[in-house]
Amino acid sequence: MTLEIKSDQTINLEGLLCPIPVVKVSQAIKNMAVGGVLEATATDPGVLLDIPAWVKSTGNELLSIKKEDKLIRFFIKRTK
Amino acid sequence: MNSPTKTKQNKLIIAKEMLGNLVDRRVLTALEVCVRCGICTESCHYYQSNPKIEHTPYYRAELVRRLYRRFFDPVGRVFPQWFGAGETTEDLLSKLAETAFSSCTLCQRCTLACPFGVETAEIMRITRSVATATGNAPDILVELANAAIAKEENAELFRDIYLDQIKDLEKEVQDILGSSKARIPVGEKGARMLYVPLAGAHTIVPQAVLFNIAQESWTLGMFEASNYAVFLADGVKAKHIAERITKEAEQVKAKEIIIAECGHAYTTMRWDVPKWRGSPLPFKVRSIIEVLDEYVREGRLHLDSAQNSQPTTYHDSCNLGRKGGIFEEPRRVIRAAASDYREMTPNRLHSYCCGGGSGLVAVEEWADIRLQAGKLKAEQIRQTGAKIVVTSCDNCRHQIKELSERHDLGIEVTSVSELAVKSLA
Repeated sequence: MTLEIKSDQTINLEGLLCPIPVVKVSQAIKNMAVGGVLEATATDPGVLLDIPAWVKSTGNELLSIKKEDKLIRFFIKRTK
Repeated sequence: MNSPTKTKQNKLIIAKEMLGNLVDRRVLTALEVCVRCGICTESCHYYQSNPKIEHTPYYRAELVRRLYRRFFDPVGRVFPQWFGAGETTEDLLSKLAETAFSSCTLCQRCTLACPFGVETAEIMRITRSVATATGNAPDILVELANAAIAKEENAELFRDIYLDQIKDLEKEVQDILGSSKARIPVGEKGARMLYVPLAGAHTIVPQAVLFNIAQESWTLGMFEASNYAVFLADGVKAKHIAERITKEAEQVKAKEIIIAECGHAYTTMRWDVPKWRGSPLPFKVRSIIEVLDEYVREGRLHLDSAQNSQPTTYHDSCNLGRKGGIFEEPRRVIRAAASDYREMTPNRLHSYCCGGGSGLVAVEEWADIRLQAGKLKAEQIRQTGAKIVVTSCDNCRHQIKELSERHDLGIEVTSVSELAVKSLA
């Protein structure tokens, strides 16, 4: 059984090339309250590495990152 | 953008120490010989797009000179207001940081215009170092530099994800070439070339197609070429990020490092890394553009210009062109790949910056400033009548795409590698 993650905001990063998805995620997270969850969809496979690395270096929490055919969907929780 | 961990007093101490260490006699001479003649004014794309004194190279240098005198000139220490009336040193530091990151892309065009050859880009790079050390640099550039370091520190964690991603991309390459033998090798020892891409697939798939056609001995590395610490002028982090790549090249015993179509990554590896190491690199460093040009000239790659008949132009990245000296290589490949090639005016050494260079394209809060500064480039493109704009730098690519939307240019922006793949004979 998989638990559904509820997001507070969703952004569409489809078609954007790295590092612009990271730039948009960083900006969106800064505009959210601590504890808020951001959901994003992207198409550049570079995010599969860039997003986990960005999360690790900023101390936020990556709740999930999954490939759905050509689409990559991820959830990040703002922790501080 | 302001680090809460640095107190006002600490910032001033750090700024003074940094400025004292970085402003050597060469830079000090540059600051002193600038007589504010204004010849550089028209050379700056910021000034051309929005003519005001804050957009002149000599104004930028004047801010640094003012700060330097406040810290180190005996008169400036006693009467700081003489070097900027009504302005605290803290205000000046903040203004300098914003100027260095948002109103100068370090494109070096003004140096060509200056009768004394004053290097405003070098002066602004020092300012960026001071801003970074005092917590005044844009957060996103710091985050992107730190993320690159996190990738290296957790390389084992990221390795499997990366290899999976490359397997998917390899299938794309096989589909394009119609051959299940096409490969994207990763970390393969004994390969002649270590190709260093950016994070995106657009800097892996087309190049892999071309390497396979040319039957090159190559391998992909684990890390991307971009180095955001260079934009921060953070020497320690920039060296660390660059060393990830040189270590990989040493591990696979590569003879050459080939950098993806990325301006700053090329000049960093080609010119800065040997200086940081204090010795020449044990391998050659080239841009992928130079390799593609060689393939075309040697007949290893056959391109058909009839495949691309739309009017096409080339934007010279400041790093690859003015700073790297790569002017003719991309043009030879584009002419082989497109039948209606047109030059922008001016071009090559005197090309205008697109406005997105030196990391500015990643700083969302200054998007309006950079898009306004790119107005001149948009007009240059429009005058060519081109429908396809080719550039060899991802920063330029992002910026020109946004310029197209802002100024309704109706163009497609692509790279030399992508254009070459579209024109395969």
